[in-house]
Amino acid sequence: MSRSGLVSSAIFFGLLLSLPLWLKDAYLQQIVFRIVIFAILGMAWNLVGGYAGQLSLGHVAYFGIGAYSVALFHEAFDWNPWLGTLAGVVLACLAALLIGSLTFRLRGPYFVLSTIAAAEILRLLALNLSFTHGAIGMIAPGFFEEPNGDRKTYYAALPLLGVAFALTAWTHRSRFGYYLRAIRENEDTAMAVGINPAVEKLKALLFSAALVAAAGALYAGVFQFIGPDSVLAIDLSVQMALIAMLGGAATVWGPIVGAVVLTVAAEGLKAYLERAHLFFYGLLLVVVVLFLPGGLVSIVKQRWFRRTAARAQAA
Amino acid sequence: MAPLLQLKHVVKRFGGLLATNDVSFDVEEGEVVFIIGPNGAGKTTLFNLISGYVTADSGEILYRGHNIVGLKPYQTTRLGIGRTFQIVKPLPSLTVRENVMLGSFLHAHSRAEAGRKADEVLAFLGLDKRADQLASGLPLAQRKMLEVARALATGAKLLLLDEVMAGLNPTESAEVVTLLRKLKDFGVTAVGGVEHIMRVVMALASRVVVMDQGGKLAEGSPQAVVHDPRVVEAYLGSKYQKGGAPT
Repeated sequence: MSRSGLVSSAIFFGLLLSLPLWLKDAYLQQIVFRIVIFAILGMAWNLVGGYAGQLSLGHVAYFGIGAYSVALFHEAFDWNPWLGTLAGVVLACLAALLIGSLTFRLRGPYFVLSTIAAAEILRLLALNLSFTHGAIGMIAPGFFEEPNGDRKTYYAALPLLGVAFALTAWTHRSRFGYYLRAIRENEDTAMAVGINPAVEKLKALLFSAALVAAAGALYAGVFQFIGPDSVLAIDLSVQMALIAMLGGAATVWGPIVGAVVLTVAAEGLKAYLERAHLFFYGLLLVVVVLFLPGGLVSIVKQRWFRRTAARAQAA
Repeated sequence: MAPLLQLKHVVKRFGGLLATNDVSFDVEEGEVVFIIGPNGAGKTTLFNLISGYVTADSGEILYRGHNIVGLKPYQTTRLGIGRTFQIVKPLPSLTVRENVMLGSFLHAHSRAEAGRKADEVLAFLGLDKRADQLASGLPLAQRKMLEVARALATGAKLLLLDEVMAGLNPTESAEVVTLLRKLKDFGVTAVGGVEHIMRVVMALASRVVVMDQGGKLAEGSPQAVVHDPRVVEAYLGSKYQKGGAPT
């Protein structure tokens, strides 16, 4: 990572670490926590949807697996949520292997539809199986005892954000990241330089699913109540994609910017939108794809390019 | 020593279309062989068969004596068979160097090593001044060179160049020819595909394989091939066969 990249990430994480000290309002703290979770989800999606260009709209499957693992293993074996999280990550990776090896055979809209189908199958299972208690949902254990449970959970989420961020920064510069971009542009060309697209895509999905499952487990621990409509709904899949694309797909900072903008906008519009939020997301997705394919980050990047170009010309 | 590449009675059908009809020929190490033939003669299919993008229905394709029929494209690349595409496909959002690094990553242990190898290849092909430019800004001739650079960077020993001359003006094709001649110094054997027997092919090719409607029509030195009546017929029609003018 460049020096300016290191400095900005140090400032960013410094701000987040010190946040509970200067932001006392409980409502605002909760919004920041949501932003952190959404940023993790956006970055995780970005690996598969951004760098590898595989537009999955079924990522909620891994979120649900993470969340339900915490609740299910607690209810069945009295496991603490940390063990439940670990189990969730492992199960999500297994699911990713299965779902990935089936859906990655398909290209374009067929791939997108198959990812939605995979997530819907899980949602219907959760809705209809007896041990998941169907639509009633499940109680999940909290990660920390009160008092200050929320703040502790916030600090538990930051390392996960750090992992997602580091993984993205590494991907951006590494052979793996270049291979994913090559696959995104053209699989035939990718194979001509010795890349096995199936293997690289599966790798990206495994990283992605593990992160999303951990975030799902965290969500379950914080809200302590989960159901098919909260942790396996397609809305969340769309949000993950939207966050990454709004901020800037295949960029390091894009999902973070996207998470901030989308969370704040959704919060501000909540009173007016009610059940129309899916329409709003859909509209936003169309607008971004049509008018800002590089995402919000690209606006800054273009200005920076223009400035350096002007400077180079002046010199 | 066995030839670098041997095709033995290779057959490929697409539905009712016989795209490759019992084609056999050898390529020796260090040769520059051109496969020529009119549009639809089956040149691209032949390249796709060798590099593994399509699988032969019957026959054998031997590379260094091993049958490579059934291998995937990324496997043939790892064995040392590089290729370029008829329609050039650089990654537009990456720089020229990064595009070439995609190839050199294959046998490099680090990003830095891949970068060094890419720079070597770029210097060899005279693209080094463009290294930091975005690939999307290159003119067509240089984009074709970039394809060659990327294939060379994978450490290819056999280079399949599909329609290398298409879309290039005479000056540009002359540049490409100079470059292909240098490939031998790089330890690379080249098989090129072109539509017409051009001056450049005459100058460059050690051997020419003529394809027509999926089958091998003729094979030999460029001189011998242009005087072959079957070749003249395939290109110009039977009226020209005996040198008579059309009425």
